[in-house]
Amino acid sequence: MTTELASYSAPGAPEGGDELALYVVFTANGSDYALPAETVLQMESFEGATAVPGAPPFVAGVVQIRGRVLPVVDLRLRFGGTPGERVLDNRIVVGQHGERVVGLLVDSAREVVKLRRSELKPPPPLVASAGFVRAVAQIGPRLVMLLDFARVIGEEQLDGVV
Amino acid sequence: MTSVDLKEFVNAYLGEAEEQLRISNAKLLEIDAAARRGEAHPRAVRDLFRAVHTVKGLSAMVDVDAVVAISHRMESILRSADRHGGHLPVSAVDVLLQAARAIEHRVRELAEDKAPSPPPPALLESLDAIGVRAGGASSTSGATLAIDPSLSSKLQPFELDLLVRGVNDGRRALRADFRPSPVQAERGFSINTVRERLGAIAEVVKTLPMAVPPTENAPGGLSFALLLLTTVSDEEIAAAAGVELSDVTTLAAPAPPSTGDVAPPVDEDDGESVLPQRRNIVRVSVARLDDAMEHISTLVVTRSRLARAVAELGQTGVNTRALAEIMRDNARQLRDLRAAVLRIRLVPAAELLERIPLILRGVEREGGRSVRLVLDAGTAELDKGVAERIFPALVHLVRNAVDHAIEPPEERKRLGKPEEGTLTLRCVARSNAELELSVSDDGRGVDRAAVAQRLRHEIPPGDAALLDALCEPGLSTRDRATTTSGRGMGMDIVRRVVVDQLGGDLSMATSSGIGTIFMLRVPLTLSIVDTFTLECLGERFVVPVSNVDEIFEVDATRVRRAPSQAGRPSPSVVERRGEVMPLFDLAGTLGMRDRDARARQAVLVRRAGEAFAFGLDRVAGQQESVVRPLVDPLVQIRGVAGATDLGDGRPTLVLDLVALGASAATLYGTRAA
Repeated sequence: MTTELASYSAPGAPEGGDELALYVVFTANGSDYALPAETVLQMESFEGATAVPGAPPFVAGVVQIRGRVLPVVDLRLRFGGTPGERVLDNRIVVGQHGERVVGLLVDSAREVVKLRRSELKPPPPLVASAGFVRAVAQIGPRLVMLLDFARVIGEEQLDGVV
Repeated sequence: MTSVDLKEFVNAYLGEAEEQLRISNAKLLEIDAAARRGEAHPRAVRDLFRAVHTVKGLSAMVDVDAVVAISHRMESILRSADRHGGHLPVSAVDVLLQAARAIEHRVRELAEDKAPSPPPPALLESLDAIGVRAGGASSTSGATLAIDPSLSSKLQPFELDLLVRGVNDGRRALRADFRPSPVQAERGFSINTVRERLGAIAEVVKTLPMAVPPTENAPGGLSFALLLLTTVSDEEIAAAAGVELSDVTTLAAPAPPSTGDVAPPVDEDDGESVLPQRRNIVRVSVARLDDAMEHISTLVVTRSRLARAVAELGQTGVNTRALAEIMRDNARQLRDLRAAVLRIRLVPAAELLERIPLILRGVEREGGRSVRLVLDAGTAELDKGVAERIFPALVHLVRNAVDHAIEPPEERKRLGKPEEGTLTLRCVARSNAELELSVSDDGRGVDRAAVAQRLRHEIPPGDAALLDALCEPGLSTRDRATTTSGRGMGMDIVRRVVVDQLGGDLSMATSSGIGTIFMLRVPLTLSIVDTFTLECLGERFVVPVSNVDEIFEVDATRVRRAPSQAGRPSPSVVERRGEVMPLFDLAGTLGMRDRDARARQAVLVRRAGEAFAFGLDRVAGQQESVVRPLVDPLVQIRGVAGATDLGDGRPTLVLDLVALGASAATLYGTRAA
């Protein structure tokens, strides 16, 4: 199953205004996370990945999506959790950062939400220290953490070239 | 001549023969189109003659008698046609097309290391039987050249002929006089550079050195008269030759397009016409490019080691900012280098499409349909390997369209459509990584009900579901298999080629009574290598065949365990043909298990001459694999060269055993870490 999200991307709004933007919300290890919709290329169901010996432990492996071979970061492991059970709800959220295209293995993908810039708050210090969370937002009863995709996929840590 | 030389020579022959056959086919189609309109196409006949003549000459050199026999007869027909204004009846064109196919077939046999089959007697008879009808009275005319007798006496008859023919072909014959001097040399003009520069914009028919009285302009008393055929202006010629405009004189203006006027016969022993006219083009075997790519891969591996070393250095507190900057430049340069080599493998998409008319012609004939073909390849380019793989899929789509989609002329007339159906093939580069090919027709559209009936199951709404149904193996909406589309590959194979082999995307849109369009999205580049599939702990891996020296059964009695070193797994050693080498456990090296298991089979690998072996469960087979590099830094691991799809839709890792051997040596402590 594929969900195209490219067409949802929000129209450009004047800089500094309280513009609306779309976010993709998903869960991992009981928490809600979000990525800007323009970062997300598509979502795919997860049917297992090919393990890559020697890759960082949080890399579930590589998968082939539309002829492209991408690494998949297991979000549970990335955030220091334990591997989750494989369920039908598992999704790969395929995101793009510069030239890199990387999938995030999540427990389930929930929805696409519209948020105003003013709804995004700086993360609490404890959450911010790991550097993965850029901001938080309250959506109804839930606290959603806006991820720094570049950090999650190891940018600034790995030698991100060649 | 040693056998190696011969092999290389044959390869060169194959390359050149294929090129000439490509030209032949294109020219034959032009002649065919003209013949159907009842017109002559003298220029195409002459071009075809040249191509066939080249094929004949080359074939004689490598002793391919069958091709010589066929091409010789083609040549006679064409020479005679040329003498009669280039007129060829459609029936003769048909036989020539058959002959070209017969030659192609034999060239292919040679490429597959088979002995070329003898020429079909029926074909030779048909070729012999063709009497070319003369196209009206002929007069020996042609352009006259205004050449100084002192010059013309120094020219060979064929050179004069070449000039006349060039003029009749619509080019101008010029003479440019170049006088070498120190001043000219300082400006970078010598006779050699002048010839080279002129060669790019004109055909240099002859360069004649002449003694002249020494002057200021010609201090050496030497002058060169260059006889040229060109379509560019005198000014351009003068600039390229570094001479004054007055040094360029016109020998003959182009002849008006010939309308039955006959040029002098083509001279068979005219050596010039055998020489290919392409300039600034180098033919390179794909193997050499792969070799260059291979070296780049090793550079990439070295680079990541360097990166790691720099990172470690940084951790010790050393300031590595300057180093990091160099590393960034180095990374970019490596990427550029890799892209440059990949670009060398690109061929114009137009080359892919220009083979389609020939296919279409055959299908049209058999199916009694009349189809107008629109080809639009623009400037798109794609990898040669991709082009070769995608071509059969295109052929299938073209055959399908003509055979199933485009209605017979009477039906089209009744429906108010133009009697002639239109088939459009387009190639567009979507980005610098992807090519989009489309095959569209204005036929009847895919009959959903008929497909459902044949499959005996419902088809969900939507074109995507209908395409899925069309791609079910073995589906044919026709009861009677036609000779064209009833054989060979089906849509399931088209999909497999596009999606599984090439990692592309296939989609379709169809509209009842209006037409169907198939869209193929394929990557522009890929690298294809011969690989072995290895099995190890239930996982499959592939390795390039070039990595492996030998595969052997492991005789447990010949395996010795080396003394264990502190904190390290102990390596085994195995003896093979008197050579003792380390035997590494592949699964262990890859970190798939802690304890080594007994290997049943092993592959022998050499690294800088040093032999080592990897033990594994079994070598499961050999196939060509499309290797996609793992570009993301998260999965750039030493020893993992990329990923491939073995047909199950999931990636299988491609291992670099040579690099992995280095890791294993470190891990097992057979060498200092």
